[in-house]
Amino acid sequence: MFGTIFTFELKRWFRNPTLYIYVAIFFFLAFFIMASSLGVFDSFKTTTSSRAISNSPIALNGIINGLTVFIYFLLPSIIGASVYRDFKYNMHSILFSYPFTKWEYLFGKFLSSLLVVIFITLFLGLAAYLASFLPGVNQEMLGPQRIMAYLQTYLIFIIPNLLFYGVIIFSVVTITRNISVGFITVILLLFIQSIVSSFTKDADNRYLVALFEPFGSDALDYYTKYWTMYEKNNNLLPFEGVIIYNRLLWFGVSVLIFGLIYRYFSFTQTALTLGRSKNKERVVKNNFGGITKINLPQVSFDYSLKQNLKTTWSLSNLDFKFIVKNWVFISILIVGLLFILITASVIGEVFGTNTYPVTWQMLLIPGGTFGLFINLVTFLFAGLLIHRGTTTRMNHLIDSTPVPNWVLLTSKFIALIKMQLILLFVILLAGVLYQTYSGFYDYEIGHYLKELLGLKLIHFVIWAFLAIIIQTLFKNYLLGFFVLLILSIGLNFLPAIGVEQDIFIYNSDSGFQYSDMNGYGHGLNLYLIYKIYWFLLGITFFCLALLFWTRGIGQSAKERFKEAGRRLHSKIAISLTLSFVGFLAIGSTIYYQNNVINKTKSGKESEKEMVQWEKKYKKYEHKPQPRITDIKMDMDLYPKERNFVANGTYILKNKTKVAIDTIYINHGKNTEVSFNVKNKLISKDTVFNFDIYRLEKSLIVGDSIQMKFVVKNKPNTFFRDNSPVEYNGTFINNSMFPSIGYSDQSELTDDEVRKKYGLKPRDRMPKPTDSIARQNTYISNDADWVTFETTVSTSNDQTAIAPGYLIKKWTKDGRNYFHYKMDRKMLNFYAFNSARYEVKKDKWHDVNIEIYYNKGHEYNIDRMISGVKKSLDYYTKNFSPYQHKQVRIIEFPRTGGGFAQSFANTIPFSEAIGFIAKVDDEDQNGVDYPFSITSHEVAHQWWAHQVIGANVQGATLLSESLSEYSSLKVLEHTYGKTQMRKFLKDALDSYLQGRTFENKKEQPLMYNENQQYIHYNKGSLVLYALSDYIGEKNMNNALKRYIQKVAFQEAPYTNSIELVQELDAATPDSLKYLIHDMFETITLYENRVEKATAKKLPNGTYEVKIDFTVSKYKANDDGKRLFKDKTGKTVTYKKKDSKYAIESYPLNDYVEIGVFSEQTVKGKKKDKELYLKKVKIDKINNSVTVIVKEKPLEVGVDPYNKLIDTQSDDNRIKI
Amino acid sequence: MKLQISNLNKTYPNGVKALDNLNLEIGTGMFGLLGPNGAGKSSLMRTIATLQKPDSGSITFEGINILENQMELRKILGYLPQEFGVYPSMSAEKLLDYFARLKGISSSKDRKIIIKEVLEVTNLYDVRMKNVSGYSGGMKQRFGIAQLLLNNPKLIIVDEPTAGLDPAERHRFLNVLREIGTNHTVIFSTHIVDDVKELCTEVAILNGGKILNQNTPAAAVEALENKIWTKVVSRDELEPSEKEFNVISSNYNQDNTLNIRVFSETQPDETFKKASPQLEDVYFVALKNDQ
Repeated sequence: MFGTIFTFELKRWFRNPTLYIYVAIFFFLAFFIMASSLGVFDSFKTTTSSRAISNSPIALNGIINGLTVFIYFLLPSIIGASVYRDFKYNMHSILFSYPFTKWEYLFGKFLSSLLVVIFITLFLGLAAYLASFLPGVNQEMLGPQRIMAYLQTYLIFIIPNLLFYGVIIFSVVTITRNISVGFITVILLLFIQSIVSSFTKDADNRYLVALFEPFGSDALDYYTKYWTMYEKNNNLLPFEGVIIYNRLLWFGVSVLIFGLIYRYFSFTQTALTLGRSKNKERVVKNNFGGITKINLPQVSFDYSLKQNLKTTWSLSNLDFKFIVKNWVFISILIVGLLFILITASVIGEVFGTNTYPVTWQMLLIPGGTFGLFINLVTFLFAGLLIHRGTTTRMNHLIDSTPVPNWVLLTSKFIALIKMQLILLFVILLAGVLYQTYSGFYDYEIGHYLKELLGLKLIHFVIWAFLAIIIQTLFKNYLLGFFVLLILSIGLNFLPAIGVEQDIFIYNSDSGFQYSDMNGYGHGLNLYLIYKIYWFLLGITFFCLALLFWTRGIGQSAKERFKEAGRRLHSKIAISLTLSFVGFLAIGSTIYYQNNVINKTKSGKESEKEMVQWEKKYKKYEHKPQPRITDIKMDMDLYPKERNFVANGTYILKNKTKVAIDTIYINHGKNTEVSFNVKNKLISKDTVFNFDIYRLEKSLIVGDSIQMKFVVKNKPNTFFRDNSPVEYNGTFINNSMFPSIGYSDQSELTDDEVRKKYGLKPRDRMPKPTDSIARQNTYISNDADWVTFETTVSTSNDQTAIAPGYLIKKWTKDGRNYFHYKMDRKMLNFYAFNSARYEVKKDKWHDVNIEIYYNKGHEYNIDRMISGVKKSLDYYTKNFSPYQHKQVRIIEFPRTGGGFAQSFANTIPFSEAIGFIAKVDDEDQNGVDYPFSITSHEVAHQWWAHQVIGANVQGATLLSESLSEYSSLKVLEHTYGKTQMRKFLKDALDSYLQGRTFENKKEQPLMYNENQQYIHYNKGSLVLYALSDYIGEKNMNNALKRYIQKVAFQEAPYTNSIELVQELDAATPDSLKYLIHDMFETITLYENRVEKATAKKLPNGTYEVKIDFTVSKYKANDDGKRLFKDKTGKTVTYKKKDSKYAIESYPLNDYVEIGVFSEQTVKGKKKDKELYLKKVKIDKINNSVTVIVKEKPLEVGVDPYNKLIDTQSDDNRIKI
Repeated sequence: MKLQISNLNKTYPNGVKALDNLNLEIGTGMFGLLGPNGAGKSSLMRTIATLQKPDSGSITFEGINILENQMELRKILGYLPQEFGVYPSMSAEKLLDYFARLKGISSSKDRKIIIKEVLEVTNLYDVRMKNVSGYSGGMKQRFGIAQLLLNNPKLIIVDEPTAGLDPAERHRFLNVLREIGTNHTVIFSTHIVDDVKELCTEVAILNGGKILNQNTPAAAVEALENKIWTKVVSRDELEPSEKEFNVISSNYNQDNTLNIRVFSETQPDETFKKASPQLEDVYFVALKNDQ
């Protein structure tokens, strides 16, 4: 009988066209994604280039698993419904009288439907495989075809996961006989999964999460998180340790659940329902009816428009009630609320420190997952409402009443919007709840309402329109739901096939961003225009839905079209035409603005332009050019109109050894240039804005000329924004002004892409020894040290700031003027800020400290001031005197970016990274980042503004890494060593993750090519460790000597080699290997405590024996592990019971060993060091014995993770 | 009040011809539409109730062209489909209020009055607070009538309403229908001949999408006067008799013999006795002639 049930069920599915629709959807999704990542669409879009192989086992696993998440939404209707269907069609009463056992029935149903789902997933793999044979595939990104890769993905992840989810959904739907409950379960499971995963943020939980996360993706991640490009491209998926345990665990759980459903399922059971049962009373009907006279009372009927509108509203209330009473909705509501509260607690977290829960941050929540929730229920309930009549079989009663179609459709639509409103109010509620919980009482209810009702609602309403038309067209609401789900997510991927403009992607828009300083800024108009644009298309959809609305008996597609034609009377036709014409009108206006009046370059076009630029002008790169020596700027900012006019004067001096007769000017749009000597414009390029002037009289060696320029923005229009000026919080820098000579900044950097266009491969930066490159700093290629003077004007309610000292301030014609002048030479690097500022002033010795901030952002001003003072203390003491008399920190809107940037004595600082931080001084795991960022930026006054590296590899070691090091030291001296741990742990994680995304090559620290994960994260780790090994004082003295040598130097500029030499000189011979390991090569460790025992000695002390292994390896620039040194030497060690030997690079290293107990400080448990010492080791397996005075609790090898270790959670072990 | 159906055709995508050039004229009173399962009764009913479009033909009621002006008809239409469900967890009162709104009764007072009345007429007043989805078959059918009455319809279409009802329910139901039928046009489809016999002022027999016979029940029966003959035969004689005579029905007696009824203008032979015609004979004769 099992066979009969099994094959019957299978046959039923394989005859069902829905199955093939699903198959087709998934096949094409996988096919397109794979084709896109293999560069098949490269003729329409930017060239896909990556060193990552698209069909490597881990990449395939990612694609197939990612798409399988959508398939989980099919489980309720395929696996869940397999038994439910028999009940729905009353088959069970017949079926259950047949002679089969419960086992045969349940197992047959489950297995067959599981097989159907697996059948669908197989097409993902098939599509991914076939896509690699398409013409146009970039062979560089295609690795060997490995069947094993597919087998692994399916056998380890896809099929076990489907089994687990399948069993749960099967049980839930079978018990409740309600497919919707199956949906809730899918959403709940996905939700639980994401919550479980979020615990990996704390590295200490990674193993546990890996074990318990039901998808197994965290288990996989446990081993592959730090996989380098080489490992990604070459390794098969790991199947070991926690992955095996995880899979076994959840397989066991699946079997258990199936066992339970088997145990409790009964053929005769009634559906499990939630809610109280009604009072039962015996009902005996009257079996003897008389004859009644029927005299219906006269009532009046009203079929007017007004009455219809009233009916629409009251019907919508009924439909709304249906939604809010539905368990899917209630569950989503609860899950959503929980989700918001959980997200709110981690949103905006930096280095373990939260921000104050300001309203705009609460409002970021619906943009992501919660927005998806709203869409999911909109799609689902659009279907449930539209098909409600058919589902309950009441449709014939309704359809024969004189209610117009539009009343029915509109009422359902309004009910959907009411539902969306409820969900949006949940955001408000959750936001206010969370704010209250956090003791933040600055509720901006008006802001909530404006954003949720004014800006967000329309976004979801536009999705509701799409839901209405799709669900009207599809007879099966589950299929409709599914199509909508795929559409809403798939549309985001249109740019991957070259469709980039918002007007072609349903419901996409220009976006908006809120800042406390600048509100919604100028972006709102355009956002609303886009929304109106899509809303009009929505109305068109609505009219179409009216035309295709099913009334009465369902019809064939042909008849529906005929019927639609019949229904197309004037009212609908007019609405349809008007909305569609409006849609086209707005769309074509935007298109005209963006493509005809202003050229929006597609990614592809930009790519081609970059090629052109290089081919056309690279030849001028090393032509002798004069250098900028003096800068005067008159900058007029008009915040209300959002315009600016800059009048600049450069003095250009011939610092070369030859006379110069040709000047190359590289500028932006709307720029006019003139010289004070006679000249001729011999080439003008309006595409690249690269002009060539021939001087009538050559500029002789040592002589100067004056160059004047005017730069303005193009006027802003309703549809297009052409200015960087903000209403409040302008922050613009000198990159918009003309520069001299060719710039290689806009060259293509990816060698694969370069090859495609016939360009030679290039390094991202020249070698440190490149003497031509060393003529320029990495900040500027047309100036050395310059004098700077500026007059900035702005509106009368704003303060404008630029580097230099305020000489004079005045008001004229209702505008504020500020005259700044720098008293010494500085880099050609400056910016202008203007906003309505509050100021807080302080002093450190004779240095003025000023913080310019937005009113309401007072929270951390004192921390910043303290950061400035402590930094000045430390840097002047350890490095060199401060060259300025002033430090100014200037807040700018988060919409301008989330960073701080150090200009000479002036530090623009984003409102997002410190001004609203909620620092908890008690929290060991939270860094006072307003303090540390301030300290980093102040350090730049030394490491950039005194010592500036040449434009060669390793330049940022001299600025960013040293600033990180400097600020870490200030942080350490202020807060103690414990705050270092969190910071260094984050740095280690960021470095290890950063290298996995490297798409060119990982460089050693001293040769880094402006790679952030190297110069910030590895840089801070390495320099901190070095100071720990050779001593802080020693290290700082080396830096001091280095500053003395190179500060404020002229070309050729210093490089990393000179710094490393200085550090090397300060390092004792026994530790010289560190310089080689940390700076010159990429070196990683795998340190691990194997065993630790403690024994109490008679004298009350404890003898601790620690067995540990140390393995060191080098990585090549691809991330391949190398265990042999130059001479081919290597060491290995094989544990007794292990199959594999541990390999290592030859060792002669010092590694720290620590023994800890616990102490309670201010009610919080903290480590207490009983022993901490660096021991020398020269082999992999080691054992040390130490005596400590107290009872030890924990031991560790490199316990503070000072060395770079990919598995940092096994360095400590509890005794 | 006259429903005029002319040349109605409908063929389903699977090739079944549900309505075959059907012509029918129906006046006030109860009109019984008699036909076997699959005769096209429901198709015809749904088409009149504006739920389905014919391929061709026309239907008019009181000057309303139903196919063109569906809304006008719906205003005066009461329709009870052969099979229907209701929104779950809604009481009769709430559902009726819902339908009253759909039917355009704007004032809530009016709705209350009429709902109370239809609940009383259909004897559902006591259970008005109970969920209709939990009603028994008979109660549900009566609820169907209740909703149908809300707009005081002039044209009432009930599609096989008595199928599955117990005798008491069936009686009650037919009585209510009868009451309504006195001053409305009621079209009532069934395959149970007795329903028609008891109720209808006029009857039509439908098979294969065609009207085979239309008459008043009495006249239809009268038309068969002296043409129905009966005889008792043994089981083995049935087949030869069927070949020889126009047998329209055969029923077992308790002794395993059969009563056969034959349609013939004259006495087939002397073994046959004249029988008084029944409406059932009309039905079978019509079907037989259609073969």
